[in-house]
Amino acid sequence: MGEQVQTPAAKIKKKKRDTAFTRVMKYTGVRLIALFLTVAIGVYLTIMIANMGGYVDEIMKGSIRENITMQLRMDDGYQEMAPEAKAAYLLAKIENEEKRLGLDEPFIFRSFRFLLNALKLDLGQATFMSSDKGSRSVRLIILERLPSTLLLMGTANLVLFFVTIVVALILSRKYGSFWDRFFVAASPLSAMPSWFYGIFFILIFAAVLKIFPFGGMIGSPPPETTGQYILDVLYHLTLPAAALIISAFPARVYNWRTFFMIYSSEDYVEMAKAKGLSAKRIRNRYILRPTLPMIITSFSLMIIAMWTGAIITETVFRWPGIGRLIFRAIGMNDTAVIVGTTIIYAYMLAATVFFLDFIYALVDPRVKIGGSKQKQ
Amino acid sequence: MTKKEVLLKIENLNLHFKIRVGDVRAVDGVNFELYKNEAVVILGESGCGKTSLAKAILRLLPNNVKTYDGKVTLKGVETMEMDDELYRNEIRWNKISMVPQSAMTSLNPVLKVGNQVAEPLTIKGMDKKEALEKVREMFKHVGVPEDFINRYAFELSGGMTQRVAIAMALITVPDLIILDEPTSALDVLTQANIMNLLKRIKKEEDASYMLVTHDIATSSELADRVIVMYAGQIIEASEAELFFKKPLHPYSKKLMASVPKLRGTDELEFIEGKPPSLIGIDKVAGCRFAPRCAYKMEKCEVEAPPVYIKGDNKVKCWLYENKDEVD
Repeated sequence: MGEQVQTPAAKIKKKKRDTAFTRVMKYTGVRLIALFLTVAIGVYLTIMIANMGGYVDEIMKGSIRENITMQLRMDDGYQEMAPEAKAAYLLAKIENEEKRLGLDEPFIFRSFRFLLNALKLDLGQATFMSSDKGSRSVRLIILERLPSTLLLMGTANLVLFFVTIVVALILSRKYGSFWDRFFVAASPLSAMPSWFYGIFFILIFAAVLKIFPFGGMIGSPPPETTGQYILDVLYHLTLPAAALIISAFPARVYNWRTFFMIYSSEDYVEMAKAKGLSAKRIRNRYILRPTLPMIITSFSLMIIAMWTGAIITETVFRWPGIGRLIFRAIGMNDTAVIVGTTIIYAYMLAATVFFLDFIYALVDPRVKIGGSKQKQ
Repeated sequence: MTKKEVLLKIENLNLHFKIRVGDVRAVDGVNFELYKNEAVVILGESGCGKTSLAKAILRLLPNNVKTYDGKVTLKGVETMEMDDELYRNEIRWNKISMVPQSAMTSLNPVLKVGNQVAEPLTIKGMDKKEALEKVREMFKHVGVPEDFINRYAFELSGGMTQRVAIAMALITVPDLIILDEPTSALDVLTQANIMNLLKRIKKEEDASYMLVTHDIATSSELADRVIVMYAGQIIEASEAELFFKKPLHPYSKKLMASVPKLRGTDELEFIEGKPPSLIGIDKVAGCRFAPRCAYKMEKCEVEAPPVYIKGDNKVKCWLYENKDEVD
């Protein structure tokens, strides 16, 4: 004791800090486990669906048998064998090939091994697809497509995000004005998907007006200097990016405008007005600041949504991105590629959700990590 | 009584809103004066335009305003002619401040209350430290613990947030404080506390109040003068003492009769019917209260009554055309 004696207030303070620390740690642990389980279940479901619950195995077995039979038909040595030997040889070859692809094990075992590998981010080898450089590694296939998807989705989503918020903020203060009514009326146009706009744009700007290319990411032959290369990519980027932006634009503006209007009618906003604050200060401190958690959520979900690409829009524009990769992988039943893209998205989503909780606690004093729900 | 100095003079103030089915005449030709260091209570049922009147004075207008005119003179300065930017800088919170109905929702949930109270000072260029020091003093003055400046609104009780709102209204030492039902969200004990605080401030600071409320009992604590609104118009303006003893207008009589008394044996009265819709009210030729009035005469339905002046009081009712007194 002696010098160790603390004032009661200091004791309470220390205790408070300790409990806050353990509270956050406990919350973090529980949350991580829960998110991991969610990811595992999600990925397992993807494995089951991509394999059609094991039916893909049957399809593959069928195609192996057919291929080998076809091969052997060309094989003169095989043709000269005795019929029994022929059948045994055929079966042995088929078994060998099935073993090579791991099809001799029951699917249910393999599905869990797939899951384990996926969770370890060991994406494995593609069955049918290969990268442009000829590699079968799923990681390389995905990495090769990633930059072009990020370019397209990044451009479209960032423009959409910031422009719609600015437009919505302006509109939220002009309820009933011409542009306000225009966007309310135009918002159903977003029901048409971006590839639909894409087809129209191709028709108008590529086929009729001939000012933009039909698709692809780079002209043929590719320009030689870096400057020209960048310009050519931008030239090819215009139509798909415009399709993505324009299709989502009216609904997003409508959404945000309603959102900001609700938050602009809060009592404290009127109070701020009565206090003689400038419109800019009211916007920054009384509208944007309280809505920051929602804006951050929207932003981070948008960032990870870039990852999956736009499946049909990329296909329509022959854009060499992840979306088109997934499209082809589904068509070819290449489960390793489908699962590979899914697991990366699932991990990114889980990490985002995890960190968002902490960001909420930082930007909103009402949120307490792991705190009990108390309202005064 | 010494000669009273006119602080706020309102002449023929109109505030009409446009909605799909017609025009809402929320404030319809209102005239009144407010003297320095006086507490005027604006009484009326919900929807009679009393909050709109408060907002019209502070120029806090919604988007669908149809008409907003009249003359508002504050300390001899005509404020209706100021443009929005000048009005914002000169009048809001410098000359007129406001205590809202629900202080809890009127405070920004994500900013510390100290910073919010200091804001009217800091936007005028005061150093933040100095402003927060002033807030501490003001908090002490209104009975809020000083260290609450670092708290958020949700960490305070209802009574405390109301005190914070009052501190915020006082921080710039305004000429007029508009109190928009400042106690209606509080329990009776806290109501009494807040009323006492307002009384004390009025005495100490020479403050002038315009108290908008439907709570007759609580407002009687503070009122120097009572103005009764009905359907967007003022129908009675009386000295408080006279009003609470003997209101003039039939509507005021009914209002007073609806207040519970501790030992009264009378049954509580209520006013039959409901206030008229403010849409197209200008087409009503007669008195707007006539359909619900117990003293209705033929004349009432045909022609709107003028304002009769009875000593210090004003009343808008035909009953006072010839007679001096009416029971």
